[in-house]
Amino acid sequence: MSELTLRLVDIQKKFAGVQALKGVSIDAYAGESVALLGPNGAGKSTLMNILGGVIPPDSGNIFLHDQPVEIHSPLEAVRHGITFVHQEIAMLPTLTIAENLFITSFPTQLGFIKTRAINDQAVQAMARLGFYFPPTTKVSSLSPGDRQLVEIARALLSNPKIIIFDEPTSSLTEREKLRLFEVIQGLKVTGVTIIYITHLLYEVFDICERAYILRDGEIVGGGLMKDLPYQKIVQMMTGARSEQAVATRKSRQTSETILQVTGLNRSGVLEDINIELHKGEVLGLWGLLGSGRTELLRAITGLDPIDSGVIQIHEKGTTRKIRPADTKKWVGMITENRREEGLLLPQSVKDNMSLANLTGLLSRLWPLIDGRREVKEAEKYVQRLNIAISGLNQVVATLSGGNQQKVVIGRWLERNPIIYFMDEPMRGLDVGAKAEIRKIIGELAEAGAAILVVSSELEELMSVSDRYLVMDRGRIVAELPCETTKEELIARAAEAKAFEAR
Amino acid sequence: MALPTQKTKRNSFFDKKWLNKNLLLTVLPYVVLVIIAIVLAIKTPHFGTFRNLTNVLEQSSILAITAVGMTCVLVVGGIDLSSPAIMALSAVAGVLFLRATSGTLNPVTGAVAVAGAIPNQAVRAILAALIMIVVGMAMGAINGFAVGYLKMIPFVVTLAMQFICLGAATWLTESVGIPIDYNLNKFFVDMTQKRFDYVPLDILYAVVFVVIAYLVMRRSYLGRWLYAAGTNLKTARISGIPTQKVVMAAYIVSGLTAGIGAIITAARLLSASALIAGENAVLDIISSAVVGGVSIYGGSGSPVGAALGAVLIGLISNSMNMLRVSYDLTLMIKGVFILAFIYIYSLRKK
Repeated sequence: MSELTLRLVDIQKKFAGVQALKGVSIDAYAGESVALLGPNGAGKSTLMNILGGVIPPDSGNIFLHDQPVEIHSPLEAVRHGITFVHQEIAMLPTLTIAENLFITSFPTQLGFIKTRAINDQAVQAMARLGFYFPPTTKVSSLSPGDRQLVEIARALLSNPKIIIFDEPTSSLTEREKLRLFEVIQGLKVTGVTIIYITHLLYEVFDICERAYILRDGEIVGGGLMKDLPYQKIVQMMTGARSEQAVATRKSRQTSETILQVTGLNRSGVLEDINIELHKGEVLGLWGLLGSGRTELLRAITGLDPIDSGVIQIHEKGTTRKIRPADTKKWVGMITENRREEGLLLPQSVKDNMSLANLTGLLSRLWPLIDGRREVKEAEKYVQRLNIAISGLNQVVATLSGGNQQKVVIGRWLERNPIIYFMDEPMRGLDVGAKAEIRKIIGELAEAGAAILVVSSELEELMSVSDRYLVMDRGRIVAELPCETTKEELIARAAEAKAFEAR
Repeated sequence: MALPTQKTKRNSFFDKKWLNKNLLLTVLPYVVLVIIAIVLAIKTPHFGTFRNLTNVLEQSSILAITAVGMTCVLVVGGIDLSSPAIMALSAVAGVLFLRATSGTLNPVTGAVAVAGAIPNQAVRAILAALIMIVVGMAMGAINGFAVGYLKMIPFVVTLAMQFICLGAATWLTESVGIPIDYNLNKFFVDMTQKRFDYVPLDILYAVVFVVIAYLVMRRSYLGRWLYAAGTNLKTARISGIPTQKVVMAAYIVSGLTAGIGAIITAARLLSASALIAGENAVLDIISSAVVGGVSIYGGSGSPVGAALGAVLIGLISNSMNMLRVSYDLTLMIKGVFILAFIYIYSLRKK
């Protein structure tokens, strides 16, 4: 076996009381590609930030070539031969390729940049990857894939021994992705260790020799790819353990369709989506991360554009076809990222709770908001949802995650829509808060609302759903009943068509 | 994984201290305002007179009204550089209408020699005022459409609109001031320039307007939507708020205030021209809002604050004038004042 380049031993890190990494250990050998898998928030980025010198670990050791090292800054990491190719491509688009490559250390003469020298060196750096772009090309005129190559070329300038790729394919086309994989294979031949962070499982089988699966700050499994069957990795990523039985519930499912989506398409994202959402049911939208679940919710609610498709609302015996932009009149949308999209962070609990229902709070005398009614309504749902606040005027930014999520839910309860879309409604919440949210979802369904829930945590999803739709790469691949077992769901999500065809 | 961005642990003592400091910093500009007023009242013989004080307020009233419009735009995270230009175009349109419909006066007898299209002064005046308001709102609507629906950048859109309106106003007036014949249009002028128990009507209008603006911004759903859209457009959109319409509405309100400003200014100057709003007007308007605590990043600020900011700016101009400070020095002092206030506000948050 080749040389052991990197060992991380028992790395721990705490953020504001939350244990982000609970003693993580990883080995990586020269000339191999190691996948770091796991859902969002599992601790992948934290671990790599520690390796890259961005943040210090609370405890644990890093060994490079069996020598213990401490990495205090990104610059030190580079000196140790560790470089990062970031997910968000960090480049200056108005400058040329050569200028971007040498931006941190321009070779100068009398204070002037040696333009010809950097251009020549840029050509060489790109040639190492087997590509030629004129070095004076502006980065803004390159495609995302080409920009990434420049980024990799920049990473290679310091002759690194370890290169970390953080979700490198997220903005690439299929062809660019294959080219990237070729580049990675080429790097491995030269003895470089690759650490490949992703949540797209099928990529890993193409280019990685070894994998570690992180969940909730812990390594839940790992080893050589050839010893890890696809299904097992899915099981580890989603945290579905067969010994943990979920109490079987009776399906609440009714046959009265409220929302009907037919032939919804969005080029490259969603393909021929057909959904019927019934009154009083919780429909679980299941699929791996990147299968198009969130994109589907956003397309139906008009937050992202669609190419074709019909959306119909059946209400009080009448059917009407509506534009995606108008679905919000019927649908209460709880997005996966409450801080970025769900809340008005600098505003008060009361203002956030009233937000979707301001037209419903008008005074009877004139078209102004009735302050007393607004307070009463907000108080009602604060109590009903058991939200812990110091007062209605508390700024939501200062609330805990669970309470913030409840504020978002409370906002829609005030509006009282007939349909709810909930994207990862329990993400990042503690056990108690999760249970409460679960209870609320159940109560809403009992009261007759139709609820579409997305969750990456299979058991979470199974604890609320009456029926499942399984998604894979922008398509709905299966519809399964309430009684479906965990194994079955995992199998359905894992049987990626393109994966078989590979 | 996102790093935690907030520190929730903050003990209550610190919390309280923070609140008091913020409150103090909010009140400070107005304390300064009162102190300046008192010092000037002692130092200069004319400052404290009722006449001068109403003068200051009268001068500030147009600024206050347009600053309220600017506040709406700033709250949704935009900016309106075209406000004074829109005011000029509205004024020109309205005054041209007055001229065209008033007829002419016989200089000897004082009787209307040639009857205009609309003989009744009141009808004429109200129509002229309506024209000014409609022109202002229409121009604001174009700004709002470009920003809200076409997703163009507010700075550029309103800069272009400034040129368009100034160009149109200059073209319509052929570069000269269009006078209002007071004898033929007493009603139009008196509508804003008369006094009600010694208090000039335009001050009353400004106060009423600011009160209405306060109610609309704080208590109507449109106002709350403005704040929501300015705080986080994505959240607002997901919550079902028609954000494009809301953004457009903000610019229409700004255009409306330019139209109201045009009515008062034309009546006060008895004329209209492309230069009616005065030099640096847009800077005064934005300064008033910012000094009044309106955030240029959107999401916060009150119309009352902006109006008080306008009074403060007006007071600085007036007091410098009283102290016989030259115009160029006045500009510099104004700039320093604005910087100082903005610095104080920057202390308020974090």
